[in-house]
Amino acid sequence: MKILIIEDNIKLLEAISEVLSAEQFLCVTADRFDSAYEKLLLYSYDILIVDINLPDGSGLDLIRAIKKHNPSTGIIVISARNSLDNKIEGLELGADDYLTKPFDMAELIARVKSLFRRCNFLGTDTVTFSDITIDVTSRTAWLSNTRIDLTKSEFEILLFFFSNPGRVLTRACIAEHIWGDNMDLVDSFDFIYSHIKNLRKKVSACGGKDIIKAVYGIGYKLETNNK
Amino acid sequence: MKLIEKTFLYTAIWLLPVMIIGSIYCFFMIEYIAYEETDEYLTYEMDRLKNFHKQHNALHEFHKTANLIPNKRYEKPFFKDTMLLEPGDNEMVPYRELHFSIKHEEQNYGVILRHLLPGRDDIVQGTFFIVIGLMLLIAIIIILIINLITGKIWKPFYGTLNKLINFKIDSPLPTFPVTSIKEFKALNGTLLSLLKKISDDYRNNKEFNENASHELQTHLAVIRANAEKLLNISYSNHTIGINELDKIYTASTHLSQIQKSLLLLSKINNREFSKSTKVDLCKIITLSLETFSEAAQLRDISIQTHINPVIIEMDIGLAEILINNLIKNAVKYNVQNGFLSILLNNSSLVVKNSGQPFRGDPNKLIERFARGENGNLGIGLAMVKQICEIYHFTLNYSVSDTYDHILTVYFQPAFNPF
Repeated sequence: MKILIIEDNIKLLEAISEVLSAEQFLCVTADRFDSAYEKLLLYSYDILIVDINLPDGSGLDLIRAIKKHNPSTGIIVISARNSLDNKIEGLELGADDYLTKPFDMAELIARVKSLFRRCNFLGTDTVTFSDITIDVTSRTAWLSNTRIDLTKSEFEILLFFFSNPGRVLTRACIAEHIWGDNMDLVDSFDFIYSHIKNLRKKVSACGGKDIIKAVYGIGYKLETNNK
Repeated sequence: MKLIEKTFLYTAIWLLPVMIIGSIYCFFMIEYIAYEETDEYLTYEMDRLKNFHKQHNALHEFHKTANLIPNKRYEKPFFKDTMLLEPGDNEMVPYRELHFSIKHEEQNYGVILRHLLPGRDDIVQGTFFIVIGLMLLIAIIIILIINLITGKIWKPFYGTLNKLINFKIDSPLPTFPVTSIKEFKALNGTLLSLLKKISDDYRNNKEFNENASHELQTHLAVIRANAEKLLNISYSNHTIGINELDKIYTASTHLSQIQKSLLLLSKINNREFSKSTKVDLCKIITLSLETFSEAAQLRDISIQTHINPVIIEMDIGLAEILINNLIKNAVKYNVQNGFLSILLNNSSLVVKNSGQPFRGDPNKLIERFARGENGNLGIGLAMVKQICEIYHFTLNYSVSDTYDHILTVYFQPAFNPF
C-alpha cells in the first residue's frame, strides 16, 4: 500500500509521513510540484495525498496528471484554503476526499483507511476489532451475530476508534470528526461523554467487552491490550 | 425623478413668470396700439372735416359723422374716453372721443368725433389666445431641444452610470465612454482611479486573507500533529505533561476554528458569495434542524416549527450560513429541557429559544467577539448580521423577561438602485 504525500511544509510532511508509516503504509514524500510530478510519472501509487498550494505549482494540476496517468489512484486533497471553489474543483477533477488544514492525524488515518476500503484495496468492506465487526457499506455493527443498534453519531465514533486503535483520541478530535465545523455547537466534553457512555452501554448490553478506555481529562482510546 | 424630467419641471416653473409678465406686456401693447390707431383715425377725420369746412363753408357734412354743440369753444382739441350704451345688445361699450371746435358764421361750434374702442375684455381674450399659442409653441420647441441636447450631451454620463451600475468588484475595471466634455472627463477619471483603488484593495485584502489563512492553518496543523504525537507518547510512557499537551492541542483547535470563522466572515464582507439563485428556505431549515437535532436531543430541547414555504432570491451558500448559524446559536446557548421554536413566513424568520439569564444590550451580542456570560457568541451572529446587511434584511435581537432569546430576520423587498 503505497502513498505519495505532497506537502510543501516539511514539518507537516514529516508528521504525516511518520503517522501513516506507523499505520504500516509505505510513504513516499515530495515537497515540491516538480519532484512530485516526476514521482507520479515514474512510479504508481495507491493513494495520493496532495496539498493544493505548492510554491511552484498547483496541486490541482497534479490531480489532472495522475488521473491521466493512473486513474485508479485514490486522491485525498489537503488544503489550507477553505474555499469552496477549490474544494469543488478538486472533487470534480476526481479527488476522493478533501481535508482542510489543520486536521487531526487520527482524522487523516481514518480518511486514508476509508479510502482504501472504498477503493477495495483491502478486498473487504468490514473492519473488525476485538469481537466487534463493522460493516462499512451497510453502516451496521455486529457483535458475533448480534446487531448492535447504534445511532449515526455512535456508529461514526466507533468506526473512528476502529480506524485508530491504540491512539489517544481527544474529545475535541472526536467532536471535530463528527461535527466538522460545527464542533463548537455544544460543550463537546458533555456531548462526547454522553455518546461514549451510550456506546459502551449498547456494546456491553450485547455482551461485548469494554474496549473504550477513558484517558482522564483528555479523551478516549481503543484499548489494544484486550485482544 | 429622471434628470430630463427634472429639467422639464424646472423649465416649466421658469416659464410661468415669463407667461405672466408676457401676458401683461401683451395686454398693454394691444391697448396702446388700439388707442394709437383710433386717435390717429380721429385726427385725420378732424382734419378732413376742417378742410371740408374751409372749402365749402358748410356744416351739413358734419351731422353725418359727429355731434355738433352750438356755442361751445375749446382752447384746443383733446381726446376723451367714454362709455355709451349700445342698443343692439344693451351693453355699455367704450368709445374714444375727439373734441374740437370750429368757427362757422361768427358762431363757435363744438364738434365731437367718436370711434369704437376694443373692450378690455376683448383685449384680455386676445392676449390670452396669443400667449397660450406662443407658450404652446415655445413648450414644444423646448421639449424638442432639451430632448435633443440631453440625449447628446448627457450620453457619456449615462454610459458611465450604466457601467458603474453593472460593475462587480471582482470583475475587470470598466472602460468609460470617451467624451469631450471637461466635467465628464474629470468624473470618469476620478471614478476610474477610485474603482482601481477599491479593486486593488479588494484583491489585496482577499489575497492577504487567503495567504494569512494558508500560513496560519499550515503551522497550526504542525502544532496539532506534534501535540497529538507527544500526547500519545506521553500517555503510553506514563510521563507527566499530558494535560498541558491537551491544552496546547485544544487551543490550536480553537485558534483554527476562530480563524476559519474570521476568514468566512471577511469573505462574506468582501461579497465573495454573490451567485443569486432562488433558494428554498424551508429545505435549508429542515436540513439544518436535522444536523442539530442530535445535539438538541442531548439536552432535551423541544423543537417546534411553523414553516411556510418561502422562496427567496439569494446566494445559497449565504442562506445556509445564515440559517445554520441562527439554529446553531439557538441550540448552543439553550438550557437543559429548553425549547426552540422556528417561525417562517414570507415576511420574516423568527428563531426563539430559552436561554441563560442575560443582562445588557442584546444587540451588542451581534458584534464580532462580543461575549455572553458563558463564552463567545459573536462570530456566528456577526456573520448573520453581515448577511442581513448584504440583502438589506433587518435583524432584531431581543431577550424577554423569561430569558427567551428572540432573533428575527425581516425580509424586505430586494434592493433596487432606482
